[in-house]
Order: sequence, then structure tokens, then C-alpha cells
Amino acid sequence: MASLKRSLDSDPLAANISSKVYVRSTKSGKVQKIVREVYLRQDIPCSSKLCRRCLNTSPRDAAGQPRPFVLSEAPAGTSVFQQGHYLVPDTNAFLTAMDLFEQDSAFYDVIVLQIVLEELRNRSLPLYNRLISLTKSEEKRFYVFFNEFRLETHVTRQDGESVNDRNDRAVRKAVAWYGEHLAGTGAPKVPAVVMLTNDRDNLRKAKAEKIPACSLAQYVNQLKDAEALLDMIPDTEDQETIIKDKRPGDPLYPEYFTISKLMTGVKNGLLHQGIFNVSLYNYLEGSIRVPAFPKPLIILGRENINRSIDGDLVVVEVLPKDQWKEPSTQVIEEDAVTKNENPDAEETGDIVSEKERKTLQEEVKRTQNKTTEGHAQPTAKVVGVVKRNWRQYVGHIDQSSVSQSSQQGRKQDTVFVIPMDKKIPKIRLRTRQVAELVGKRILITIDTWDRSSRHPTGHFVRSLGELETKAAETEALLLEYDVQYRPFPKTVLDCLPKEGHDWKVPGSVDDPGWRDREDLRGLLICSIDPIGCQDIDDALHSRPLPNGNIEVGVHIADVSHFVKPNNAMDTEASIRGTTVYMVDKRIDMLPMLLGTDLCSLKPYVERYAFSVLWELSPEADIVNVRFTKSVIKSREAFSYEEAQLRVDDHSQQDELTTSIRTLLALSRKLKQKRLDAGALSLSSPEVKVQMESETSDPIDVKTKELLDTMSLVEEFMLLANVSVARKIYDAFPQTAILRRHGAPPKTNFDELANQLRVKRNLDLSVESSRALADSLDACVDPSEPFFNTLVRIMATRCMMAAEYFCAGTQAYPEFRHYGLASEIYTHFTSPIRRYADLMAHRQLAAAIGYEGLHPAVRSRGRLEAVCKNINVRHRNAQLAGRASIAYYVGQALKGRSEAAVEDGFVLKIFSNGFVVLVPRFGIEGLIRLRDLAEPEPAAEFDAETYTLKTRGSREVTVELFGKVRVNVMDQKDEVTGKRGVKMELVSVY
Amino acid sequence: MPLDTSTYNLALLRVDGRRWNELRRVHAQIRTQAAADGSSYLEMGHTKVMCVVTGPTEPGPRRGGAAAGGAGGGGVGSGGAGGKAEIVVGIVIAGFSSVDRKRYGRGDKRTLELASTVSNALAASLHTNLFPHSQINISLHVLSQDGSLLAALINAATLACVDAGIPMTDYVAACTAGSTSTYAANDEGADPLLDLNHQEEQELPGLTVATLGNSDRVAVLVCESRVQISRLEGMLAVGVDGCKQMREILDRVVREKGVRMIQEGTVEKGVGLGDIDMD
Ligand SMILES: [Zn+2]
Repeated sequence: MASLKRSLDSDPLAANISSKVYVRSTKSGKVQKIVREVYLRQDIPCSSKLCRRCLNTSPRDAAGQPRPFVLSEAPAGTSVFQQGHYLVPDTNAFLTAMDLFEQDSAFYDVIVLQIVLEELRNRSLPLYNRLISLTKSEEKRFYVFFNEFRLETHVTRQDGESVNDRNDRAVRKAVAWYGEHLAGTGAPKVPAVVMLTNDRDNLRKAKAEKIPACSLAQYVNQLKDAEALLDMIPDTEDQETIIKDKRPGDPLYPEYFTISKLMTGVKNGLLHQGIFNVSLYNYLEGSIRVPAFPKPLIILGRENINRSIDGDLVVVEVLPKDQWKEPSTQVIEEDAVTKNENPDAEETGDIVSEKERKTLQEEVKRTQNKTTEGHAQPTAKVVGVVKRNWRQYVGHIDQSSVSQSSQQGRKQDTVFVIPMDKKIPKIRLRTRQVAELVGKRILITIDTWDRSSRHPTGHFVRSLGELETKAAETEALLLEYDVQYRPFPKTVLDCLPKEGHDWKVPGSVDDPGWRDREDLRGLLICSIDPIGCQDIDDALHSRPLPNGNIEVGVHIADVSHFVKPNNAMDTEASIRGTTVYMVDKRIDMLPMLLGTDLCSLKPYVERYAFSVLWELSPEADIVNVRFTKSVIKSREAFSYEEAQLRVDDHSQQDELTTSIRTLLALSRKLKQKRLDAGALSLSSPEVKVQMESETSDPIDVKTKELLDTMSLVEEFMLLANVSVARKIYDAFPQTAILRRHGAPPKTNFDELANQLRVKRNLDLSVESSRALADSLDACVDPSEPFFNTLVRIMATRCMMAAEYFCAGTQAYPEFRHYGLASEIYTHFTSPIRRYADLMAHRQLAAAIGYEGLHPAVRSRGRLEAVCKNINVRHRNAQLAGRASIAYYVGQALKGRSEAAVEDGFVLKIFSNGFVVLVPRFGIEGLIRLRDLAEPEPAAEFDAETYTLKTRGSREVTVELFGKVRVNVMDQKDEVTGKRGVKMELVSVY
Repeated sequence: MPLDTSTYNLALLRVDGRRWNELRRVHAQIRTQAAADGSSYLEMGHTKVMCVVTGPTEPGPRRGGAAAGGAGGGGVGSGGAGGKAEIVVGIVIAGFSSVDRKRYGRGDKRTLELASTVSNALAASLHTNLFPHSQINISLHVLSQDGSLLAALINAATLACVDAGIPMTDYVAACTAGSTSTYAANDEGADPLLDLNHQEEQELPGLTVATLGNSDRVAVLVCESRVQISRLEGMLAVGVDGCKQMREILDRVVREKGVRMIQEGTVEKGVGLGDIDMD
């Protein structure tokens, strides 16, 4: 009988074959044993140019080319190893001090052992990738020695030996071999082979085995410019023990309470429910506003945030008072702190990574050092999530999280996706198509966030195209702000008038379209809008009345004539909620035919309108107001600039120009009345992007100019909105669609008031909008005209957002519009681009008895739902528009040959950086200490006086509200592939 | 976990320590099952397969169950109608053969395809026309998988057919070839690789090639991954060269077995074995 017994001895190769057994534990708890063959050989060169022996066996590639040797024949020496030395760092050395190895001043001739490379790859893919690029650099002379494949240096794990001990032994063995091997070269000056490790045990064993070894600090001390480098050595000798405590698979986050426990807790007032918001500047800090506390509760640290994502409805528990913290004064960016994490590593370690722990500890130390007490704020931790606000996110794959092998397309790989929205954490994505997706804008969703996973896990939805292409970036913005940008479906287009662009106001006044319409075609009506405006929804006129009063008319496009309640077009418009204006694109709420033609109050043609007609006294007091559907014929469509020129040109004395002058005069009086009532003149930096007309590439950025004619239109629109609001509220006290602006809680202004008092000795009084308006007026700096605007911008950020609501849901005093200082307000004047206005039109038409109220505009439940939707849409549209401007500002900067040096103002100060607003571009940017100089300067932060003083490599003093000169440029982060506006401090005024 | 295939260029070493042109250790035995007409056992690295051949026999209800156990079957020729023996290949892949325990059902497409490829490869060498109206059953058992499975199956089947004494032109020797960088890397200068293991198969482009004996006649060429056409020539050349090395190894196995059988007196020296080297 033949047997299957192997005859190993007859096989010449057999002696040199070893098997490696890896144990891989999967998420589900299964343990897989992977057996790999290893072929041991003696022809792996030492790669020292001193060695002749290895030259003969030097490996050749398929083309017969041998590899040139890497390590120098005369390596640099140190004070201890004067004969020259080669370095052999262990894994930990690379993990903790990769920056050191990348220095130009030292760290040449480094031997990277295979075992170290393997360990590093498991621990941190980004660091691994950095090390690989070092090995490719010719100057640095990093050689990867495959110690595990060389017969002499191969080490088998012994019984009872831990993997770490075995690997340390392998490193020592390789160092010893190198020493002996180089001694055998017979070179006159044999370089020392020095092991670098911070592991005390390993150092001790090396000493016993007479192997040259140093800790990082010891080694750097032997170098010439030790001072500068020593700072870069993290103080981490004991870190290992912390990391090893946790086993893979252990939950990293605390468990959520059960739903019933949450509900009873909230009912009893022990727990609080609210929307979780992440700080823009510190991803480890969030806040939540709950009714029981005047100030928002702060939530600090990953463990307390406990998997909440910005916008989630969460339940929190307030921590005991001794654990209350101050809000952070430090900028902590996720990209910077977690950039070395491995996406597919089994989750070892704490949820709070070492780096995060350190960052937070620094923070705590700083807070404790301060003598001032009582700054601590109620601090809470998340104990449950009631409703996730997860949506689809646009982002891109973090290139540094991609392993180089994940490209053939068959292997599933895990990578990190960095969402565009800074408030959303990195998302782990498992995909088989990494190669195709790198460098693309992609859409993903979050699936889960397990207790055992540091980051949420998501899946790929689709690719929007190459990063930084206009199409992909625009679509990304639209998706990010949930803008419905698909073409209108046929069912919607079917609702349009059959005549299309040929539609006309019927010639005969007997036509049903003329029913109850006033013929205002004889009035001298004109429209004033931004240049190039196509969807003109308002037009004005004025004429003197015989009694000395003035008749003023505001005529609004009669959209409700074309969009009937509850048809497909109406439903679509109610979903879209608003038209979205991007720099190069407009996403319409209504089909083009209506928006830019049939409804648009174009000049020289007859159009249906909804008119508000006032009789105003010369002092601009309302004598009388009435509302009517009408037919008008606009005489001219002016741009603001044209209208302004015409008004200013006193040679123009025609009736139309005079009527505009009358309107202008009245508008000034109206504005004064509003301001007297306490209306706020707030500010947000607004810019306009100028585009190359043919290629539509952005060429320049201009701040928006303010013209009197703009204010003219604005005043009459406000007046119309207020008048209509009163009318529809009278008619429908339960269902009128109104707009309110809540008074901001006083505490919102605490910080700004304190800042103004400390820095400028100015008083901000917030008792009423009037008091606030007055004190804002007083905030001037004679030497800096922009200061007032700056304060207004900051004050605006303390405000609440205005919102649409249904009259029946609020008590009358709550109707108040704080910013406009009006008791009641609605939106009526832009029905082409806002759905709320269209609803107001329908309600007004019913209020004047023009038509009955459609049930859909009568049901309060439905109206509330619509209000909720358009509030969200309105906000998103604003954000999308702003983001689009920011994108094009970046593009315009990119197109410039030199960086733009601009004036900026310090908006916010942290202990490790500050935020600068550049009014010229309407953008703000963060300048961190480490951006100031290399190496990072030391800094003293005085939270009391809002001052940041740096010392060392660069000495500047940055103060809040201070004027600075900055270099603005568009920059791409090479590691993550993220592009953004970047600022550099040039000088402080 | 160890490194991946991207580190090849650091020191011209593959994930298991081999150079680009080295085969893994091949271990093979023939006549492992005395009861069968022909049998073999072959290891290429950690890929381990067994083969049992019965026949040529009468077609019809399968004999002995050797082939009947096959989960996948492939046949060439049509039961002797064409005057040739039919080569019926059955492949059973053990559930424990790969890291992820997996059941391979009877109709597993991939297994069927492998079987049909093996059958075709052997048809190029076996003199099936000598056995009209009969059937050659080849039953292959995969015990462990670590890449180059098809090549190992073909090699084992060849050995078993030699053992069964079925007349054939020459060995059908097979091996795989790959390239050191991925398709996406689009690296013109990538080195070709010989004999891919499982990890390399997963990450790199590769092909399986089988040649007929010492000639350059290619009996099988299967390429299931994307690779630039410019790299294909180098891969094929290395593959064909590997097949020649493989033929030498198979030949040595057969000759050593022959020598041992003569020494043990299982067969008489002389008839039909006259050309076996005695040392
Ligand atoms: Zn050497």
C-alpha cells in the first residue's frame, strides 16, 4: 500500500519553508485560521554599499536589472556612534514619531524591518503610506529589509511567547544579524546598527544581548540640532499599556437606555430631549438646547456624545455638578486628530483614541489652571437617540485610508469617507470599487453606528463624478442641501397653459380670466430688480392723488392664477418650497414657462397681477389700503443700477422717473419709521461672483454694493407683506400663513456683550430690539469703519431663525417679527420663487372674496406640514446659495496667479488658533497656531481678554476684533484630498 | 495580517518570500490509491488535490462510485458515438479547503467550469480515439486551496492518467502567471509573476496556462482578470516557462515512482519501462 506520508527530506526546498499561522477574528466573533507559506532564503541583501558579498546575490527583476543598494557607505555619526550608524526603529517609533523620520536634518540610512512595516500597516494605514513614500525617497535612504524571509533572521514564535514579544525578538535578531554581517565586510569603518525603541523591556533585553539600542529621546539627544527635534517626540512611553487593555470586539460606547426608560425620564424631568448640534470648530464638543436650562447644555468628548450626529433628536442626562465643564476654547479638527486611524482595523483600543485623549487632557489642564471659577456650564451626556437625522451625505474617500492593494476590484475594502459637511464625522465605507471611487465626489448613507465601532458605517450610493469638476461640485451642493433639482416630470408640465409662450392676457374683458380684475394697464408701472433678473415677481407705481396724498401700488405676479391648489404642479412646488439660486444656476420652484415668462411681470406686455394699493400721506402713513386682482402692463424693467442712475440724473423729469423719486422719498420715511420702532439693520457679508460670460468661469469676487433703489424696493415689499399679513389674519385667524422671528434669548448675546465690553468698552444692551438697534449703532470705531459691520455680523449670528407658521399655532404676541420690529408679518411678494407667498396669495384672494378657499389651504394640519417643509427648504436654499458662492470664491482664487493679500478681522479666538473674516470675499477661515510657523509657536491664551500671544518661532499678538492682513488662497490637503480656502497670517495691524 | 502584494517593488520579494520567477514547492505522488486504475496526490504550496482515474471503461451507469461522487462533471466526446472515449471529470471541493468554510453544491457553476476545462486539457493529450465507446472517469478532490487551483487540478489529473496507463502524447503541465501590479496601476514595467498563491490571485491580474509536454503548444489558457494587453505577453512567456519546469517535476515524480516500484519488485524491469533512469 502506498501511503500519503510526505517525504520531506527528499525535497531540497523543504528545509527553507516555514508556515505562518495567523488568527483572524471576524466581527461576528468567528475565528479564522489562516495558514501562509513562507519561503526562507539567503539572497536577501543587506543593501549596504559597504557590502560586497550581497552584491553577488542581489535580486534582479524580470528585465534582469539588479536593485541598487540603498544604505550609504559612510553614514552620518552621532555623538555616541561616531563611526556612523544605521537605524533600525521598531513599530512604536514610527507610530509615535513619524514626523521625526520625515525631517531633513536627521534620520538618514534607516533599515525598516518587514515585521515593523507589517505591524505599522495594521496599526495605521496613513502612517504606513507615509513610511512607504519615505522608502521611495532617494535622499532619505530608507531600506526595507525582509527579515522574515531571510533564513538567518527568521524567528518562530515560542511557546507562551506573546506576539509582541516575538516581534520584539525578531527586531533584535535582525539588528544583531546586521551587526555581524557588516562586521564581516571588512570595511575600515563599520557603521553601528542601532535599534530605536521606546519600549523599556525591549531596551533592557537589547542591553543584555549587547545590541546597540536607544530610546527616541536618547537618540535625538545625540544629534546636533536636538533642541528642535526633541519637541517632536511625544511623551508616550506608557501608552502601550492603555491600548492593550481593551480587547477587540468590546463595545466602545455606553449602551443607550431603553425607549421606555427614556420616555419616563423625560417625563419626570430627569432626562432632557433636544436636537444635538456639533460645534463647528471642535468635533468633540456638542451642545443641546433644552427647555429646562437657559443656556444650551454642553456635551464634551466622544464617550458623552455617544454616537450622536449633528441634527439627531437625542435624550441627555445632566452630569453631576462637579463634572461640569467650560465650553472648549480650542479648535479640534477631526481630520487632524484622527488622520492616522485605520478604517479596517479591528477596533482595538478605547473609543477615545490616544490622540483625542491627549487633546482633551490639555484642555482640562488648561481649564483647571485658571483661577476663575463659575465658568463651568451644565454638561450632559447622551443616553439615547429618539430619532436619527441621518440623510445621504456627499463626501470623498480619504486617500490616506486607502491601502495600495485595494484596486483589483474583487476584494472588499474599508475606507474612510470625509463628508463635505464638517459637522458629520468620518464614515467607514466598505466597498469593492475603491480604485474607481478615489478622487470622485460620492454620495453615501450611514447605515449603523455600533457600540463597538469608533466611526459610523455606511454604504456607497452613487458617484457624482470627478472631484472639483463644476458639474460634480454643483450637484454635490444640491444633494447636500437636499435641493430637488431633477427636471419637472411630465405630470407637472401638463398643468401648464396649453398656449405655452403664446399665452396672452385675453383681449376681451368679457373673458372669464378678467372676472373681478381691475384694469390697471394705464398706470405707469415699472419693476426694479437685480441685473439679469428673469423671474420678476414685483412691480411698483406711484401717482399723486388730488387730495395731496399719494397712491402707491405694489403689483405681484399672479401665480395663483396659474397654479391651482392640489394639482401636480402645486404639489411639486410645495415640495420644492423655494427657488434656489446658485452662482451659475437657478433651481426653479415652478417650471420656466411660468417663472420667467407667463407670471414674470415683464415690461411692455400685459400680465395678470395681484395688487396692493395704498393711499399714503406725504409722511408715509397709511390712509387706506386695498387689495385686488388686476391686469397691468409694466413700462420698464430697471436694474437697481439703472434706476439709481435715472433717479440721480436730474435732467430726467418724465413721469416715470418722478414717480420713482416719489417712491424713493416715501421709502426713506418708511424705513425711518421702522428703525424708530426698533427694526434691526443686521448684516451678513455678501459678495457676488463675477463670471467670465462665455466659459462661466469665475474671474472675480465683488462685495455687493448697497443702492438706495434696493432699499426702495425692500421697503415697499415689507409694507405689502405687513398689510397682507393683517388682512389674511383678520380673515383666517386660525390658518393664515405668517412669518415670525422670535426674540433671541438674552443669553445668546452674553458672549458678544462681554467681548465688546472687554475689548472696546462698549455696551450692548439687548432688552428690546430697539435697545439692541441703538447699541449696535453706537458700536463704532472711528479708525475702523468696518468695525460696526463686524459687530452686526456677529450679532446676526446670535439671532434666532425666522420661520413660517400657521396663525393658530401661536398666541398673538408670538407673531412678532423681531428683526423687522413688526407685530405681524408674512411673505407675499415673491410667489414665483417661494411657496409661502403662493399660499398667502390664495388666502388673500379668498379674503377679498375673489374666490373660495380651497380645502387644501384651509386644513390646519396640512398647512402646518407645509410650513415645516418650507422652513427647512428655505434654510437649505440659503445654505446652498452661500456654499455655492464659497465654492466659486475658491475657484476664483484658484484662477489667480498670486495669492490674494487682504484685510481681515478676527472673529473668534481659540487657545490654538483664531478665525478671520475677510470682507472682500465674504469668507472666514481658521488660522491655527501650527499654520503660523514651523515649528508651531508656543502660545499664551488669555480667555479673559480674548488675546492670543505667541512666542518662539513667531511672535504675534492676536486680539478679538483686531484687524489683520492675510494671504487667502485655495488649497488642497494632499493627505485627505479635501480642497478649501486657506488663510495665512501676513501681519497684524 | 502580513503585508500585501504592493510591497513587491520594495525588495523584489513576493508576499511569501519568493522571487518573481519561482514556483512554490511542489510535492506530488502517484499511485496513492492502490484500488484505483490510476491515482495521484499533488501539492503546489498549500493547494492540495487528489485525483483518482477509472477507465477507460464501458459507458453507461458509472462504475464504482468514483466519478459518481463528483459534484461537478464535464465531458468531452459523446459516449463513444464519435469513436472516442469520453473524458468525464468530477470535482469535489472540500468545505474545509479554504479559510471561509463554504459548501460547494452539486451544480456549482465555478466547479463545473473547472471540470470542463480539465476535461478539455486532457483531451489534447490522451489518445481517446483508441477507446471508442468508452469512458474515462477522472475524479478530483480538492483538500486545500491556496491559489492556482486549476493548474493543480490539471497537473494531478495528468499524473493520475499516467498512473492509469492511458496512452497520451505527453504531460499536460499547468501553472499560473501574474503581474506584480494591479490593473488600475497601469504599470507597463510591472514584473511578471510565476505561480500565484491565493492572496496574489485576489489582488493581482493572473492567468492559467497549460502546455503539452516540452513543446510550446498551449493546451489551456484562462484569464479571468483585467490586465493591459502589453503585459500579457510577458505573463504568458513566464507561464509557459513555468509549465516546462512543472513538466520536469511531474516527470521526476513518475520516474522516481517507477524506480521505486522496480526496486520493490512491484513490476519487472524491462517491458515498457526500459527508458527509466535508474539513478
Ligand atoms: Zn551584505
